[in-house]
Amino acid sequence: MDIFTVLFWVIAIILTVISLVKDQKKTVEAMKKSKGMMGNMLGEIVAIIFIIGLVLTLIPPETIKQVLGSANTLTSTVISALVGSITLIPAFVAFPLVGSLVTVGASIVPAVAFLTTLTMVGMVTFPLEKKEFGMRFALTRNLMSFGFAIVIALTMGVIL
Amino acid sequence: MKTVEILKKNKLPLFVVLVYAALFVFSPDKAMKSVGNSVYYLLEMMQVLPVIFLLTVVIEALVPKEMIIRGFGKNSGIKGNLLALLLGSISAGPVYAAFPIGKSLLKKGASISNIVIILSAWAVIKVPMLANEAKFLGVNFMAVRWVLTVTAIFVMAYLVGRIVKKEDMPADASDLSVLQINEDYCIGCGLCAKRFPEYYEMTGNKAVVRKMPEDEEAVETLQASVKLCPAKAIILSLEDVDSEKARKELNVSNT
Repeated sequence: MDIFTVLFWVIAIILTVISLVKDQKKTVEAMKKSKGMMGNMLGEIVAIIFIIGLVLTLIPPETIKQVLGSANTLTSTVISALVGSITLIPAFVAFPLVGSLVTVGASIVPAVAFLTTLTMVGMVTFPLEKKEFGMRFALTRNLMSFGFAIVIALTMGVIL
Repeated sequence: MKTVEILKKNKLPLFVVLVYAALFVFSPDKAMKSVGNSVYYLLEMMQVLPVIFLLTVVIEALVPKEMIIRGFGKNSGIKGNLLALLLGSISAGPVYAAFPIGKSLLKKGASISNIVIILSAWAVIKVPMLANEAKFLGVNFMAVRWVLTVTAIFVMAYLVGRIVKKEDMPADASDLSVLQINEDYCIGCGLCAKRFPEYYEMTGNKAVVRKMPEDEEAVETLQASVKLCPAKAIILSLEDVDSEKARKELNVSNT
């Protein structure tokens, strides 16, 4: 557990204790409600995690590296953005991977597109987002994030 | 009948189980590898989900609705946007952990734009992640990408707020309604626990709520239980109604 997660735990526990002291009945009531909401999500979350595991097997980091480093910048940018949307790899894998490519001289545009969609667009978490916030919200947010990821990538190509 | 319903409600997990079953038959290597990959994320989930649970409880029980409306509501302006950005940035955990928090805030009157900011910032802006990026790609790279991303998030928040309305959000009954039993009125007849054992049970000689309604259908069923109670001790309140009222009251006090 990193320090931020620990801090997160500490804050949550302190707030819960305050809430319990202030109004025990209301807090217990809220716990029942949250239990219902989270219980409904739990199955989906576990399912999503296993989809992530599967996607990582089918699209391993080596394949991602090939896509990011391919010669044609425009097509590789779009494909990199797509790969970033589908996969969900941890930051401590993604940054070294992209870093090693950029050091050997690959274009940063596909790299940025990949890094940005990796976090902002969630194809795998889409079903959950749709369930919680509705189709219109999930679709609009993800499509826009995809578009902006490409814009950000192209802008960075110009600036840096 | 009951099994069909359970399966219908868990389409995604069912689908995943089938895919893995097929994979185990045709390519056990890949299946094992996928399970191995998933373990990392399962651990991550277990570290974060309990915190998320506690935070949704705190938002629900401790934070007054007016505070959320003032902080993150439609009229909270730039200050609300910055607050949302900060809240998303100081979070920990994967983006799906942000969904319950976002939902709790939305329910208490946060605007759609600010929900977009919280979700996006939660996914993108994290101090350990930024440090990692600076280490492998340089401080310049990290800083420029950060500025562009934050700009994009604000523009997106504005646009999504224009395109998506609150009516487009799913009306999740479990979030809108609260089931309560007034202890003072309950005569302990046990009628509710007998007819609706899923939702009520007897503790001593009083009835207590076991489970909150999870969808529209359950709310309808429970309305029958409200009528059934001879002491009229069951209260089923639709929170949506009073949040609407709270919003109006706040507008009145503002003008």
